[in-house]
Amino acid sequence: MTQDPNAQAQIEPTELGANAAETGDRQLTDETSDAYGSHEVGVGNLDFATVAEMGHTATQLDPLAPAVLSVDNLKMYFPVKSSGVVRRTIGHVQAVDGISFEVPKGGSLGLVGESGCGKSTTGRLITRLYKPTGGSMMFEGQDLAQLNNKQMKPLRRDVQMIFQDPYTSLNPRHTVGAIVGAPLEVHKIVPKNQVLKRVQELLEVVGLNPEHYNRYPNEFSGGQRQRIGIARALTLNPKVLVADEPVSALDVSIQAQVVNLLQDIQTEFDVSFLFIAHDLAIVRHFCPEIAVMYLGKIVEIGDRETIYGRPHHPYTQALLSAVPDVKQAAIGGRRERIRLEGDVPSPINPPSGCRFRTRCQFAQEICAKVEPPLLQIGQRHKVACHFAGELGAHPATPVTTALLGVDDQGSPVSGAAPTNTQLTIPGYEETWYDLKTRQTTGV
Amino acid sequence: MSADTAGPETLGSLSDEPQQQDPNSQQAKEIAGKSPMRIALGRLAKDKIAVVCALVVLFFIICAVFAGPICALFGVDLVTPLASERVDGLNKGLPKPEMGPPNGPFTWDHPMGVAPRTGEDNLAYWLYGCRVSLLIATTATIFASIVGVVIGLLAGFLGGTVDKVLSFFIDMFLTIPFLLAALTMAPIINDRFNTADNYSTIQKVALVIVLSIFGWMGTARLIRGEVITLREREFVQAARVMGMPTSRILFKELLPNLAAPIIISVSLMLPTFVALEAGLAFLGIGVTDGISWGQTILKATNLTFFREYPQYLWQPLLGIVALVLSLNLLGDAVRDALDPKTRR
Repeated sequence: MTQDPNAQAQIEPTELGANAAETGDRQLTDETSDAYGSHEVGVGNLDFATVAEMGHTATQLDPLAPAVLSVDNLKMYFPVKSSGVVRRTIGHVQAVDGISFEVPKGGSLGLVGESGCGKSTTGRLITRLYKPTGGSMMFEGQDLAQLNNKQMKPLRRDVQMIFQDPYTSLNPRHTVGAIVGAPLEVHKIVPKNQVLKRVQELLEVVGLNPEHYNRYPNEFSGGQRQRIGIARALTLNPKVLVADEPVSALDVSIQAQVVNLLQDIQTEFDVSFLFIAHDLAIVRHFCPEIAVMYLGKIVEIGDRETIYGRPHHPYTQALLSAVPDVKQAAIGGRRERIRLEGDVPSPINPPSGCRFRTRCQFAQEICAKVEPPLLQIGQRHKVACHFAGELGAHPATPVTTALLGVDDQGSPVSGAAPTNTQLTIPGYEETWYDLKTRQTTGV
Repeated sequence: MSADTAGPETLGSLSDEPQQQDPNSQQAKEIAGKSPMRIALGRLAKDKIAVVCALVVLFFIICAVFAGPICALFGVDLVTPLASERVDGLNKGLPKPEMGPPNGPFTWDHPMGVAPRTGEDNLAYWLYGCRVSLLIATTATIFASIVGVVIGLLAGFLGGTVDKVLSFFIDMFLTIPFLLAALTMAPIINDRFNTADNYSTIQKVALVIVLSIFGWMGTARLIRGEVITLREREFVQAARVMGMPTSRILFKELLPNLAAPIIISVSLMLPTFVALEAGLAFLGIGVTDGISWGQTILKATNLTFFREYPQYLWQPLLGIVALVLSLNLLGDAVRDALDPKTRR
């Protein structure tokens, strides 16, 4: 401990952001593990098992948490203009087409999907970098989708964003202090002479040397720059943080540090995350709830155990089968890899009915005719598929016919009224549609 | 691997410093980072050509600013003397031998000699000509840069219809031939103001306006292109997410990133305007009251004078060439210093 460079800094261990190295002399139990977060207060009094449990394990789901952000039927269509002198709109890129989800308070929702499926667009809609074409985003009783820029400004304090690329998300001509302090100046929260204090506090929270406030971004590594970006997002004490692939531009070893930092921030400041990523392992670690997107729609949403253990949508199953498995690589067995044929269809002219049907091995006539609703099939599980079922156990007949009032080919049945009432609500209902009994059941 | 929030890279030295620190203290200065601009300045200081050119430019600036005191130091002035005292009317109007070259030895009374025919002191006219030249070029550069930067910023950042309209104006001004426009405007201004008391000032202002009007397009195009690439960077979007007003994004976020193209366009505009000013004066449509290098050259391009008294032509010519050349080379060096990718 004598060589601990921070030993003389005399930072109280209980202080926000005081990290392990700054706590000075520690008892043996502290040093046994680096795994626990830096914000755990008074770890010295606990035995190792407790300390290890408080470490950076996967974030747990709190099923009772109220929703802080509730997105309902959100749509974003980008116009496609023709070339030539008179540029008419000849179509729309349906980047996000009617998605609904909830971000629980203090929780995190993971948004996964392949490139171009509308994940980032969703994040940018929530931070209102784009104005949505339709739908609503309810946040603290206000619909973010309807506000103009002026009305939006006070709410921007509560909805912040962490960007993907730490090299372009920081202005190279500004010092770190100016970058992190800019939100304070824009919103005029603290007097000018206290900005520096707050900046240093934030730099400490994200694990940077607070004395480095007058350095420029080019003097930091990628991981450090991403920490600066996180500090900037935290400056205004936001309630919702949209993390748009926050670690995908970083080295794998740094990814873990940054994800752990985000977890610490979440427990410390009770921030809700919308975590956009394509790394399924990181999403699994960070998000107790996951939504899978395909071509502008959510195809499956549910808690971690369901999505990773018992996915019901063919696309989710294909996505998960693509995750490399270290164990299988070691013992040499062949993985059951589901290969999707063809390309993602154009979002300008998406397929009728189910958008995944062009690449789905279970697709039948009904899939082209009727769009499957995002149906709640478990306590915290929704799926949008006519043939939803666990891998290898997809039903032979569509499960949604009774709900939608159609026959097995998707043609409307005269006299049969659609009975489904829970198509687009953002959250989960008490009752759900059981796939085996084909009846609505509850707990 | 450590899972501490402070990565291993941050736990280096520096933490035995006191917690609260005066930002202006010595320690804070040591720890302060170097801005990209300061790095570029350091690179510029190592460039020998740049230093020499900067010194030459500095020399001309000193000449221009202190033209009066320097004239007083040498005891010369702009006053037109009785010509017969200084020039020999019988010898084609060339200076008398006691006035220095070409017929006599060097004299401190008139270090650069006197003008043939009128007997005006060359040094005084050279110094004040330098002042006029730099004054007009600098003012025109400032105006043209401001107009160009603002229009480029707006066109690039706002895009859409604004961009289309502004780009149309850029293209329109580029199609107007500069010399033709200047030649057309000179007689109009002359006709309108030649009886005014401050005709020479009006003439200079008009010249600055003409130079600015036809000089901003290059900068505007350059800035517009830069802004279009910068606009999509994530730091601009981060500024939007935090609710920063557009004016602040333009001038606090984008403008500092445009320092390099602005400095480059300024450093290339300045010598162009110096040369243009002299050229227009030579054609008789710029400054016409005689105090300009271009006007001196016009007077000196007389076959007799050039054969008998070539120094009279070389003096202003040397001034223009040295100033334009060093400004150009300095501009090149600045561009190299600002762009770390260039290697000589």
